[in-house]
Amino acid sequence: MSSLALVLGPAMVSLGLGIRGVRARATLILVGTALVASVLAYVSALSPTTAPFLAGYVRVDATSRLFLAVINPIFFGISVYVWNRVATTPVLAAGMPGFVALALTFLAASNAVLIANHLFILWLALETTTLAAAPLIVRPGVPASQLASWRYLLFSSIALGLVMLGIVCLARSVEAGGSTPTFFLDQLESVSVVCTNNWGKLGLALIILGLGTKLGLAPMYSWLPEAYDQAPPAVTALLGAIQFNVALVVLLRVVHLFRPAHPTLVTFELLAMGLVSMVVSTVSIIATRNMKRLIAYASINHAGVIAIGLGIGKTASYGLLLYVVSNAFIKAILFLTAGKIKAHYLTKDTRQIAGLLKDLPYSGLFLMVGTFALLGLPPFGSFFGELLVLSALVGSGHLFVFAAFCVLITMTFVATGRTIFPMIWGEPRHSHTWPRQTFLSALPKLFFLFALVVLGIYIPPVVNRLVQQVAASVEGP
Amino acid sequence: MSPLLVALLGVLLVPLFVATWRTSLIGLGFQGVLMALIARQLESTPHTVGGWLALVEFGVVRAFVAPLALYSVLRARKTPGRNDVIPPNLLSWTLALGMVLMSFSFAELLVVDSGGQQTLVAVAATGVLLGFLVLATQSDPFSQMVGALRIENAIALLELGGKPHGGPVAIQFALLVVFVTTIAFFRWHLVNAVSVRVTEADQGGGVEGPTL
Repeated sequence: MSSLALVLGPAMVSLGLGIRGVRARATLILVGTALVASVLAYVSALSPTTAPFLAGYVRVDATSRLFLAVINPIFFGISVYVWNRVATTPVLAAGMPGFVALALTFLAASNAVLIANHLFILWLALETTTLAAAPLIVRPGVPASQLASWRYLLFSSIALGLVMLGIVCLARSVEAGGSTPTFFLDQLESVSVVCTNNWGKLGLALIILGLGTKLGLAPMYSWLPEAYDQAPPAVTALLGAIQFNVALVVLLRVVHLFRPAHPTLVTFELLAMGLVSMVVSTVSIIATRNMKRLIAYASINHAGVIAIGLGIGKTASYGLLLYVVSNAFIKAILFLTAGKIKAHYLTKDTRQIAGLLKDLPYSGLFLMVGTFALLGLPPFGSFFGELLVLSALVGSGHLFVFAAFCVLITMTFVATGRTIFPMIWGEPRHSHTWPRQTFLSALPKLFFLFALVVLGIYIPPVVNRLVQQVAASVEGP
Repeated sequence: MSPLLVALLGVLLVPLFVATWRTSLIGLGFQGVLMALIARQLESTPHTVGGWLALVEFGVVRAFVAPLALYSVLRARKTPGRNDVIPPNLLSWTLALGMVLMSFSFAELLVVDSGGQQTLVAVAATGVLLGFLVLATQSDPFSQMVGALRIENAIALLELGGKPHGGPVAIQFALLVVFVTTIAFFRWHLVNAVSVRVTEADQGGGVEGPTL
């Protein structure tokens, strides 16, 4: 029931923000709701897997439990960041009720995606996250953000349209196989005819293309750098650290439907999408001088690594999940830190920022550590995740992909370091007097950092078991 | 069903060659009306709540609400009548017609028995491909909205042709609400699109005010 409360709670609080007396305390309500959601998420994560309930529409399996325990604390961290921003910049308080209502709707819908056992509900919840996020990207008085919001909405509408088309094709596939069409995931898992015919293959291809667009994979990735760059940093963190993982869970669930009977069905397609995404992002990282765009391109790079890991399946699955979970925390750290830096320097141009460790010690430290984790250095979870994916590439004989992967990762490393390191260690270019950074404002990012190190050094048995269960469901026979 | 599907195919093609924004919106409206009629023919139990909801979705929301929501903005703005949904050249027209042929060949692969189902799949595939053609060739928000709505309609048509899945009316209603909300967002963006002038400062590292 705690998992159901994760959907209904934020949704009801969001509706409650219509009451005038409540609106004045919107920021506190956001933090309070996010805190309760985090606690409930951990209760769900520690509870055993349940059979589908509520007429089969809700199911809390290992995948739900793992990702509930990842996205809710990240949302809490983002809400503390927002609270701190409003406390230090009172002019932001005016727009808070609207922001909080949409952010909580976004959270409720994200949690709904994770526990849904019906493809239409999954789709509806994912679409709701998109509709809640689109207005949040717009910053008043910044026309480019309006364009970015439109492009995000357009690409997401098309992507989710393709996913819906894929779902309809899957139903037709089951129908063509002589079974009664169903949209319940647990029932589809037991229908062996899924994808043995053209409808099934077409459905899978459309769903992968649609969800690939939501994840920022090539060929339809162009919305992502623009939306991530133009959105307020808190919203970028919502998109990059939460919505990305929610869309990925949908992809994992769909792949799980096909893997048992057809372990190599979309291997080539996923490897190709992953490699092309890595090439595109590497070139863009080399070219950009915009801090937020750089992290956005790194997100595309990560999506590429994830697609490659998912394409291989089997031994890569565990590493893939470590990589995915680590990246959620990395993106949250980096986007929130980028927000803090931009709020002080009033620019995203990396050439205008230098000496962060002296100027803004907390932000400098988080940017440094976040970049190390982003580049896949030890002792972070991303390092082990990437290592396991690489090892699986060699083990499965994909040596060309392995070589290309290594070259692209090295190029990304050099390009990112060249841009970010002078920001951290260079000499400050201007003399600034900043308001003192409080420990409280750094607390969420410290927690994310702690989680990243834990994933790299010592994974608690309970988390390890959960990751293994999810990996087993992804890897197929 | 076939005469309705042939009419739907015509409604998909004509606005590509008659390049005004009014024709595009009328085309979308007719798509909704024709899909409502097809739904009426296909629905074995038309007097269920789900059946009526489907008629409302196609006959009211897709046929009138969506086109009128966009029409009111363009009319208030006194937008010039001319609006190319695809570039007005021989290559685009050939591509559009080629896509129709391709869709019919594609439908033969998916549905072995020729007849109503095969035609329905072919028309739905045509709708999706022509929607993508519009999206691929246009950068103006209105044309992109038309492209997106064409794809949405084609998906709804394909869904219509399948066996009823017996899902609860609540899900059907929620899908309708999401569609209406999407239209509302489209309208909102269309209203604001006119004021969008991207400056260099917005694109690069210019100075900006406080933000979350």
